[in-house]
Amino acid sequence: MKLQIITQTTGRSGRVMQQKRLVQGDWIRVGRSASSEIHLPDPRVALNQGLIMDRGGIVYTEGEAGIVNPGSTTRKAVKSIRLKVGASIEVGPYKFTVIEPPAGYDGAITIELVRKLEEATTGDLRSRATKLSLASLHLPKRSVAWALFIFVAVIFFAIPAARVLDLPWRAASEKNSITGDRFWNPGPVILAHQPIEMKCAACHEVAFEHVKDRACLECHKNIGHHVSQEMLRPVSAKPGEGLFEGQRCTSCHVDHKGVKTTHKDNDRLCVDCHKDVRGKSNQASALNVTDFAADHPPFRLTIPTETGLKRVRMDGKAPIKESSNLIFPHDVHLDPKGIKSPSKGRVKLECAACHAPNASKNTFEPVTMKKNCQECHQLQFEPAVTSREVPHGNARDAKVVVEEFYANLALNGVKDSFVKAFGVESEGLLRRVGEPTEDQRKVVLSMASKKADRVAQELFEVRSCKTCHEVKREEKEGQVDWAVAKIRANNLWMPAVRFDHKAHAQAPCADCHNVAKSKSSTDVAMPSIDDCRKCHGGSKHTLEKTITSNCLMCHGFHDTKHPWDPTFKPKGATRVAEGPTGVR
Amino acid sequence: MKHRSILEYANFRWFKLALVLCAVTGAVYIWHEPPLKPYGGTWLGYTLGTIGALLILWLLYFGIRKRRYKSNVGSAQGWLSAHVYLGVALLVVATLHTGFELGWNVHTLAYVLMVLVIVSGMYGVFIYLRVPRDLTLNAGEDTQSSMLMHIADIDREMREKALSLPDKLFAAVDQSISNTRLGGSFGRVLSGRDRTCATAAAVKELPGLAKGLSGEQANLNKEVYQLLLQKNELLQRVRKDMRYKAVLDLWLYIHVPLSVALLAALTVHVVSVFIYW
Repeated sequence: MKLQIITQTTGRSGRVMQQKRLVQGDWIRVGRSASSEIHLPDPRVALNQGLIMDRGGIVYTEGEAGIVNPGSTTRKAVKSIRLKVGASIEVGPYKFTVIEPPAGYDGAITIELVRKLEEATTGDLRSRATKLSLASLHLPKRSVAWALFIFVAVIFFAIPAARVLDLPWRAASEKNSITGDRFWNPGPVILAHQPIEMKCAACHEVAFEHVKDRACLECHKNIGHHVSQEMLRPVSAKPGEGLFEGQRCTSCHVDHKGVKTTHKDNDRLCVDCHKDVRGKSNQASALNVTDFAADHPPFRLTIPTETGLKRVRMDGKAPIKESSNLIFPHDVHLDPKGIKSPSKGRVKLECAACHAPNASKNTFEPVTMKKNCQECHQLQFEPAVTSREVPHGNARDAKVVVEEFYANLALNGVKDSFVKAFGVESEGLLRRVGEPTEDQRKVVLSMASKKADRVAQELFEVRSCKTCHEVKREEKEGQVDWAVAKIRANNLWMPAVRFDHKAHAQAPCADCHNVAKSKSSTDVAMPSIDDCRKCHGGSKHTLEKTITSNCLMCHGFHDTKHPWDPTFKPKGATRVAEGPTGVR
Repeated sequence: MKHRSILEYANFRWFKLALVLCAVTGAVYIWHEPPLKPYGGTWLGYTLGTIGALLILWLLYFGIRKRRYKSNVGSAQGWLSAHVYLGVALLVVATLHTGFELGWNVHTLAYVLMVLVIVSGMYGVFIYLRVPRDLTLNAGEDTQSSMLMHIADIDREMREKALSLPDKLFAAVDQSISNTRLGGSFGRVLSGRDRTCATAAAVKELPGLAKGLSGEQANLNKEVYQLLLQKNELLQRVRKDMRYKAVLDLWLYIHVPLSVALLAALTVHVVSVFIYW
């Protein structure tokens, strides 16, 4: 196909100029693109606007069937026009007019720009449509950014910091109540600290400095340390070598982490040192431990002895005996057939008959004569005449009561009592007719004294005291006295442990303390670690069907004086039932 | 050369780095045993906090770097790719720094602002991946100004031709020419629509008004109507173009101011924590 293209322009003076050229090809492209055979340099023309081709005569086509040409002004229809001589079409601002082709040509087209660009650009829509972007709407970005920055800085810093750091605008800051350092509080403090939660400076004493132990100890005055002062900082230790050197309260205790606790029950904290505890301190008496189930030494019992308290490990190397000076066979008292009571016949005793829980039920009240024994073990000395008993706890007092009783009976006794007590047909000396003679007086008092001696001897050495106590007879210048050995019954076998009997109340006593066959009070019936391990596993819960049990379940870190410890036991307060003095 | 999005930059270099950062911090977080529970004040908390704060400062620096056209430190593409991936990784680092402890305080304010900035940034990435394609598809080889030029051209031609039409018809065409609005308000720019468009109204109205026309006038009206349809379509494209460009910009109006607010909150967070150390 051979086309003659005549580009027609009109000069300023109105003179029409024509430029002719030959265009050849099967497809003649029309468009803004410089590669088009018919190049129309105007922004209103698409890059590839259309095609001229031979279809039995020349045809102008825009678009392709089935394809939407994005450059097409209509974007949809395939526009196809047969270019007959005299026809005229508009391609963008250009006008194509078909004229008679010269010889040898298939066609001829005159192309003329009919709407100049300058004219189009003066269209009024363009002058109105000036705000087409967000930027042209003057939406604030920078100013909002600065405003937010200043808002945050003032509300959350400048105002509260003025009070805390005593900045120059402090007075102005104090007048406003919108905001304060409460917005700096990272989280709720534990319940006990809530009264001072808003008084930040109570703990945070100096700005930009760590909370010091001093701030904690202001209130926690009585908190005990883990080990003694000598162990903490031995004389031989150089600076920086002491135990727990560099550790602060906040090394373990962090607040603002919820209302419940400030520390974590984590064995790692204990095991770090206790896996090699003697390597940490040569004064340590404990053995190494890493886990209750897997690696924990046998328990140590604290036993009172003649020379004071002694700690004995239940390692099976030597039998452990208690030397309480008390004679008490558990087997007799726990006889399943019962035991004879002076008033109730045979009585079957349970553990609870003597071992009464204390007020908080975590352990037991000490067993005392008055509360637990005397109902059966009565201290009567002349039951035929009186139900009176000698006082318990002081041998001398008991002896005096007996002597006084018989002296009084000899002087003032009615006939019936006199006869029953002395076995003589008479009555109290002062009841007889007439003034008693010196001889009569001597006879009666000597009789009373002899009787008292006999009764006391029987009381101490045969019938009552000897049943439970070790009694020693002492004679001094013809005067007989008895000494009863001091009782050292243990009431607290593991004073440092947190053991709650109430929490174990579902188990029968005998599961841990098997005394049914015990014939002697020297027997120790404390459970071994293996008994505990039947239920308690380690902290990692590696054992099936056991309770996960970490160090802090049984041990306290701070000493037992810790007043916030629910198992608080003042040292020495109830640990040993002391000798036969007082009410015991 | 195949077009590669910033997400694929340098064979996912920054994605891999961000992934490693997340994996390492996550693993250390799981391994770490804090004294009570995880929070910003343990050694890991301070470490994560320092990494997070440095990341935030570096991410903010992107706002400066992207304007330094002369800078040779990496390509703008590389910086954006890193900005995107490390910004997302920051979400992991900072969340682990908090130890999931949130409350009504300036620390959580900083965290929330950071999350908003990151989420708006993610939305921005989504927009940048999607909208340019729509923009090209809509505009084709035209530009906004060429389309406007075209409309102005149509207006001129239409006015000329409509002069020979009856008054009612000319009035409708004239309405379209002098009252058609483009943009001008936030709603119109962002919606890409104009319910009261004079041209759309004219398109609707014209066939009814043209009933009863015959001969030369009917042909002329047909031509005018064609032009009107063309103009309406162009208007729709310009409006879409306007909308797409606005959408491309809008998220930055959130992303940028919030990131500056975050800078303030972060500073207050750090300083206040050390005042009450």
